[in-house]
Amino acid sequence: MRERLGLTREARWALALDARKCIDCKACVVACKAENDVPLHKFRNRINEERGGSYPRLRASFEPEQCHHCASPSCVRVCPTGASYQRDDGLVLVHADDCIGCGYCIIACPYDARFFNPKTRVVDKCTMCVHRVDAGREPACVETCPSRVRLFGDLNDGDGALRRALDARRAQVKKEQTGNDPQLYYLV
Amino acid sequence: MLAGAAAAAAAAAVAPQLGCAPLARRRRAATPAEVRRVATACELCPNKCAVLAVVENGQVKKLDPNPASPKSRGMLCARGNAAIKALYDPDRVKQPLIRAGARGEGQWRAVSWDEALDFTAERLQRLRQDHGPEAVLFSSTEGFQEEFFKNFGLAFGSPNILRHPTLCLASVNLAYSMTFGTVPSFDLLNAHYVIMSGANRFESIITPDTMDLIEGTMNRKAKLIYLDPRFTVTAAKADEWYAIRPGTDLAFILAMLHVIIKEQRYDREFVATRCLGLEELAAHVEHYTPAWAEVETEVPAADITRIAREFADAAPRAVYYAGRRSSWYVNDFQMRRGQAILNAIVGNWDRQGGVVPNSRIALGELLFLPWDDPAAPRVDEIDTRFPLAAKGDGAFLQARENVLAGVPYPVKGWMVYKQDPMNALPDRAKTQRLLEAMDFVAVIDTQMSDTAWFADVVLPESMYLERTDPLHMLPGIWPVVVLRQQVVPPLHDTRPNLEIIQGLAQRLGLGEYFEYTIEEWVAEQAAELPLDEPLAHMKQHGVFTPEGAPFYGRTLAPGFRFLTRSGKIELYSQRLAEAGHDPLPVYAPPRPVGEGSFRMVLGRKATHTHASTTNNVWLLEQTPTNDLWLHPEPAARLGIGDGDLVEVASAVGAVRLPARVTPEIRPDCVFMLHGFGKKSKHLRQAHGNGACDADVLVTAWDEVSGNAAFHETVVTVRKVGKEERRA
Repeated sequence: MRERLGLTREARWALALDARKCIDCKACVVACKAENDVPLHKFRNRINEERGGSYPRLRASFEPEQCHHCASPSCVRVCPTGASYQRDDGLVLVHADDCIGCGYCIIACPYDARFFNPKTRVVDKCTMCVHRVDAGREPACVETCPSRVRLFGDLNDGDGALRRALDARRAQVKKEQTGNDPQLYYLV
Repeated sequence: MLAGAAAAAAAAAVAPQLGCAPLARRRRAATPAEVRRVATACELCPNKCAVLAVVENGQVKKLDPNPASPKSRGMLCARGNAAIKALYDPDRVKQPLIRAGARGEGQWRAVSWDEALDFTAERLQRLRQDHGPEAVLFSSTEGFQEEFFKNFGLAFGSPNILRHPTLCLASVNLAYSMTFGTVPSFDLLNAHYVIMSGANRFESIITPDTMDLIEGTMNRKAKLIYLDPRFTVTAAKADEWYAIRPGTDLAFILAMLHVIIKEQRYDREFVATRCLGLEELAAHVEHYTPAWAEVETEVPAADITRIAREFADAAPRAVYYAGRRSSWYVNDFQMRRGQAILNAIVGNWDRQGGVVPNSRIALGELLFLPWDDPAAPRVDEIDTRFPLAAKGDGAFLQARENVLAGVPYPVKGWMVYKQDPMNALPDRAKTQRLLEAMDFVAVIDTQMSDTAWFADVVLPESMYLERTDPLHMLPGIWPVVVLRQQVVPPLHDTRPNLEIIQGLAQRLGLGEYFEYTIEEWVAEQAAELPLDEPLAHMKQHGVFTPEGAPFYGRTLAPGFRFLTRSGKIELYSQRLAEAGHDPLPVYAPPRPVGEGSFRMVLGRKATHTHASTTNNVWLLEQTPTNDLWLHPEPAARLGIGDGDLVEVASAVGAVRLPARVTPEIRPDCVFMLHGFGKKSKHLRQAHGNGACDADVLVTAWDEVSGNAAFHETVVTVRKVGKEERRA
């Protein structure tokens, strides 16, 4: 894969998200369904919303979420068959043929990013559109977003847009205390 | 629990392959798929976003955004992505249908195209013989093939062409035309200050405005002031949200004008050289003080004053955004005129970050045999009732009134293309009466809409991914030409609109007016594009856009004549005065709602387009049904809890749906999402799902443009059941 992309060093794929720009339009959610043939009523990504305040001082915020492709993924650690694994470039994936559907990983994921796919009978999750990434393209959710909330890139590319965004702005990760070292960076 | 599970599983993880050896052997050899990518243009809403369709072994697998279009800016929304489910919807109309039972009963006979076209042509011919061609209405909504339908109506001899603008944006179009002589765009990408009222741009997506506004407000730190009785996503993103008293936006605008003129914050040079009627305007807004406006709008006077100052100071990079669908109140035209005047006096016209006249790209035109102009006058009497309105589009609600009353002459037939008047017009019962009063109704549509459900014949049009349409030039600050071309052959026995029209025209002796193919039409259009191989370019890329940055200031050249009577920007309009309307916008307070009642407000969500997508399973996953937004204060008074079933009743009808008790709406308003509560049983996901707003909306229109006024409905709400929602 590295040769195909012309990379001379190991890539580390990650996402930065500027959730302020999210307008809750669900384009990313539907694009993911189409791209990855996700069955009805199951989702590989979602938009969390938070509403508060009292009339007329109200607030609402929206925040896309999917697999965090953690550097130290608990889902991989608990998988009894090795079906859940992590590639060298950081993407956390599932070998469908090795998955026995035990669901340990679903429980172990602190981000509720995995589900049992009733069609394939195995555990399913965001792959960061690995088939697109390996072909040098962006994940479908990144590409389709009207307000460009997500920035996909290589953390190891010092000149890359992702690295530059993370250098320019402060970012938070969710549930740092789990020790999973999540790789979805929420810009603040 | 998490730690426990991880620990328990850790032991098993040591020798992962051992326990699962049989499973590991099942790796399938994937057969390489034949993959094609076809550039086309989306039709799930009117934005015409550029799409790259991915076709695998003849199946449309994915619709990717085409980054080449400056209008869609490389994005595709939820609806665009969900077009796949519209294409493969099992509830599509799969062949022509002729009604077998009573109207609306749902008994259909599947017939061949020949039989359906013979039947339709024979009925149209009979109407033409017995009552004249004007006895047939031809109504349609916008679309790339609408022109063929409209031309068919005219060639048939009917003056009664009814297009969508008076259900949509006729008032804003007319207001800007009367002021600037053209309908401009708003440079939200470069504006530093944006005021928005009567538009919810982050939920009702308009390209490129939605994306540019996000980019502008979030990245370039533009300020967004937003007025809306409802706390929408746009309100959530705005710097300031005011839950303005509905129908009072003009008071807010007039008070802004008052402040800007009184404090001489307007662009004096621009107004002196380009505008007409400042003195009259200054005298007119003299008594429209912020203190007065505070009482009307419930926006504090100090805020109005401050916003007026900030707006004027930010100009020319400041816009009062006009919105798109603008049909809210009976004075909507005057409210939009007020916005246009406000934009004019701060000198934001044709400047970066301001209000910019559209750029265009010339397309070729295929010449075809012309027909005689229809002899009869229009049934909606638009010439006398709305003398300033765009005549060719008609006045939809006036037409409905007149046809039902049989004046000025009988209309007995109705052909509908790509439109669902049962949902698009207020008062669905009245529209149903109109359908029932017709001797003959034919509908051309990709799906069995509520209107099609009451038709005599349904002529199924191929879905957008199955057909090639004319090229379309989308004017704007970044103009673009897009091609919608066939991605896959029709799945069912459907036809493109042009072929349906040609089939009817041949049978009615009008074939000579339509003697061309879609390929010839497109080739002729493309020939004008400044490219070496224009047609090949369009087929490959789907998009043409001129090189270079947007161009500002063309209309600022010395001696430029605006397309108004005076040749200037008309703050004061003599033409309006002569037509019997206020030459400057006069404030009229909205009709009072009354104690215990609510004003019903409308709005859109990014997951559905009008009433056309509520059978789409991917969109229903996101927005499965509608409910009634009701503020906690009146809810408590009425004993209504969140999720309770309520009845919403107006002067014309009542619907039942669950209540959503939420502080995100003013206490004197209720809201329900459009497009639900379908009568058409053919649409199995949409039928009976939620409530139909058109059942409750009363008929009212803007006096100047004839534009439907959708916020004039007063309703009562009562509880009829307990928490039937949210199973």
